[in-house]
Amino acid sequence: MNLITLASRNVFRHRHRTVVTTLAMAFACAMMIVFAALMDGFAIGSEHNVVSMNTGDIQIHLPGYRNEPDIYSLIDNADQLVEQFREEEFYASKRLFAFGLMASDRGSSGVQLRGVDLVYEPMVTEIDQHIMTGDWLNTLDQHGVVIGKKLSKLLDVSLGDELIFVGQTADGYMANDSFKVKGILKSVSPTIDNAGVFMSNIMLSELIALPKGAHELVLMRVDRTGDLTLKTAELKTSLGSGLEVMNWQQLMPIINRFLETAHIQTVIMMIFTYIAVAAVVLNAMLMSVFERVREFGIMKAIGVKPKQLVLLIYTEIFIQTLLAGFLAVFAGSSLSWYFQENGLDMSSLAEEISFAGIAFDPVWYAALTINSILIPVLFLFVIAAIAVIYPAAKVAIIKPIDAIHHQ
Amino acid sequence: MNKIVELRGLDKHYQQGELQVKAVDNVSLTIEKRDFAALCGPSGSGKTSILNLIGGLDSATSGKVLLEGIDLSALSNGELAEVRKNRVGFVFQSYNLIPVMTAYENAAFVLELQDIKPAMIRARVMKALADVGLAGMEERRPDQMSGGQQQRVAIARAIVTSPAIVLADEPTANVDSKTAELLLDLMEKLNREQGVTFLFSTHDQHVIDRAKRIIHILDGQVESDEQKI
Repeated sequence: MNLITLASRNVFRHRHRTVVTTLAMAFACAMMIVFAALMDGFAIGSEHNVVSMNTGDIQIHLPGYRNEPDIYSLIDNADQLVEQFREEEFYASKRLFAFGLMASDRGSSGVQLRGVDLVYEPMVTEIDQHIMTGDWLNTLDQHGVVIGKKLSKLLDVSLGDELIFVGQTADGYMANDSFKVKGILKSVSPTIDNAGVFMSNIMLSELIALPKGAHELVLMRVDRTGDLTLKTAELKTSLGSGLEVMNWQQLMPIINRFLETAHIQTVIMMIFTYIAVAAVVLNAMLMSVFERVREFGIMKAIGVKPKQLVLLIYTEIFIQTLLAGFLAVFAGSSLSWYFQENGLDMSSLAEEISFAGIAFDPVWYAALTINSILIPVLFLFVIAAIAVIYPAAKVAIIKPIDAIHHQ
Repeated sequence: MNKIVELRGLDKHYQQGELQVKAVDNVSLTIEKRDFAALCGPSGSGKTSILNLIGGLDSATSGKVLLEGIDLSALSNGELAEVRKNRVGFVFQSYNLIPVMTAYENAAFVLELQDIKPAMIRARVMKALADVGLAGMEERRPDQMSGGQQQRVAIARAIVTSPAIVLADEPTANVDSKTAELLLDLMEKLNREQGVTFLFSTHDQHVIDRAKRIIHILDGQVESDEQKI
């Protein structure tokens, strides 16, 4: 009789215990698959929110602009640079910013005007698709603006309502104009939600009398699989010290750190969950071993070697873990797939979720990846293998004579 | 070589609290090929301990056990397992068989451990089971057999490897007297017809009556050693 047949028969000798142990292992593993998929989804969603909603892969400013956003800190050769970047491996767009006061019939608030290139901005971000109500900007409607979600509430405006902007032009005069609310964004980041007003950069350059240049250049790699850090360093070298080149990881260090450690959080969660699983496995295997001590004694007496018994014990737990793994992959993947398609609606807990300056969709989507399935299953095998070290060692070291006369 | 087992000044002492128990006390004896011998004596006299030492299941405090000239005290656990697998057959009182295996599989198991070819295993196991009167019951599991049938499977497993000696520890202790007689008939036949060497430990008078050689053990020592004619 081969080892696997013998181990299988031993596993199913006590069906109830095997079923309970296997289900406990499968349940924990399935939950870990779902948790890992949700964490992966959170990580992917976070990066998406950061990169695709605002920062792009890389941003270029004049040194110091990010700390003190001075209207005069312009990249003069912005047009030439974006053309150059587009010829390399980037989508590139330029932005202008201005600050001032926006008023409606029912309120007023300080705002940040964000002048974006209506042709190229959709290539570097997906902000144009992040509209809650209304439409994104278009060239035919120069006085149409898209505003942040909270700002619309602060100003108490809806689609089509008029807004009056008052600010300062680059040449020291008063800048003022009226606009119409064309669209209201979903939650993006606290800054944009509370104060963001998007308009075409042509409109904004006229409004603040800055006919040339840009405050910010946004780049998105055409092929996003390469090393971003390396690409950033190459750009830095080629542009010299006159411009500040930073990738999204440098621009949003807290989010980056969080995403870098997300898998560690998953592993920590897995360790704690699997400790409970290990206790169940250890208990079941100890019961299984102790009730068979006499049988192991007989086997040793007829010539079975300790290492063969250890192999038998490990084959038994391997079979159970394999069964649990199959069940877990099926259940965990199904549930994760459901959350990937439909999301986990957290809006009953919080209407808006933001972290480190980035707003998150209250519907949390999972991302079912190979890693989110494989890592929990591999961990299950490792934990099961660790849990049976003691019972297997017990079987290996017991003397046949003691085992045969075990009561 | 006719000496299968040779014990030389064998001692086995156990520590029970502060008391040292001499389970085997300076025992010297030999078991010859084709012996059908019984170690007999009251409970606790040391007969099972001697059997365990001969089978390499336990180690002696002092003295030597030579099995076919091999000094068991010089062997490692792994080497002892090899000796048990290849040269010794065991029949225990009860709980003898592996419950998840059929009669055939139980008997075949030890041959599989010896890496014998499947065709050869089949031939030898079928013959062994036929020899013990279990032809046609190969696929039965232990829980589908009587105590006597289970002991027959154990005997088949013990003889299927053609060991130097079969050590049987109280083989009739857990069966009724009729079954005990049948088991003794069987072992006697195997000894007579196939030359299998048997050494029993027993205090069952039926076994003692049937044995050809009776070794009386008392307080761990050989009190007498009688060969019946």
